[in-house]
Amino acid sequence: MSTPTPPPSEPQTQQQQQQQQQQQQQIPPPQNQEDPLPPHLNPTTYPRTTTNPTLNTHITLTYAPLDATAALTQVSSPQAGANVLFLGTTRDTFGARAVAQLSYTAYPPLALKTLAQIAEAAVRAHGLLGVAIAHRLGDVPIGESSIAIAVSAGHRGAAWRAGEEVLERCKARAEIWKREVFVDGGGEWRENRERDREGALVG
Amino acid sequence: MSTFQIHYFASATSYTGKQTERLPAPLPLDQLFPLLEARYPGITAAVLRSCGVSVREEYVDVDGEDARTVVIGAGDEVAVIPPVSSG
Repeated sequence: MSTPTPPPSEPQTQQQQQQQQQQQQQIPPPQNQEDPLPPHLNPTTYPRTTTNPTLNTHITLTYAPLDATAALTQVSSPQAGANVLFLGTTRDTFGARAVAQLSYTAYPPLALKTLAQIAEAAVRAHGLLGVAIAHRLGDVPIGESSIAIAVSAGHRGAAWRAGEEVLERCKARAEIWKREVFVDGGGEWRENRERDREGALVG
Repeated sequence: MSTFQIHYFASATSYTGKQTERLPAPLPLDQLFPLLEARYPGITAAVLRSCGVSVREEYVDVDGEDARTVVIGAGDEVAVIPPVSSG
């Protein structure tokens, strides 16, 4: 069973509520006053984590830069002969268009559950010693990591295979969305179903 | 008035111009897309057809059995889930 850690804003102190309100004022609309910024879009309610101590899985959603070493440390152990780390980093082009900025949004109740399921399924299917998945939210500057996956296994075969499988399943299923803002103006919400693992257009 | 909260993401946010709003509850699930279509004409074909929907943090099948049996209640949290793009 996964044990969700409640976000740090629950229960909220008066000070945190004030911070939240101040933050809302700083973030430009699309909000109107009837519909205040929901907690899942408020960076002060992060990081949010889920761990499964039995299967040694660790899920993190955070607005802070990802810590690759921390992801490896979460899963490595004296029994592990193979530790694979994947970092997905933001690229400065989409096709021929120059990308100025990328931004990620998540729906954490579902995203944490989905990522935990993916990690736990991988441990069971490949006999892994641990899996850590961390995804960054909000603006991610070009060249920085948006996702970190660390996989530990007794031997390299299982670790390599599971690392790729976990990434592909995350991209297919995790309730997280990427918006690319282009240098020449405009922005687009991306859909992973549009491209395969080599970046080629699908269908 | 009793309401439920509905969250939009990605293309659904772009189409509605909103990240979240409150709508009147109770609402049978099979009335959700017609209600959104009335508020945001064209959204069904442009956005909703390729989206999943969660109610109380569980996916529901808007076209299947759930459509007739699930009722969105007061205080419930609903989310419109467009095709994802993590990583």
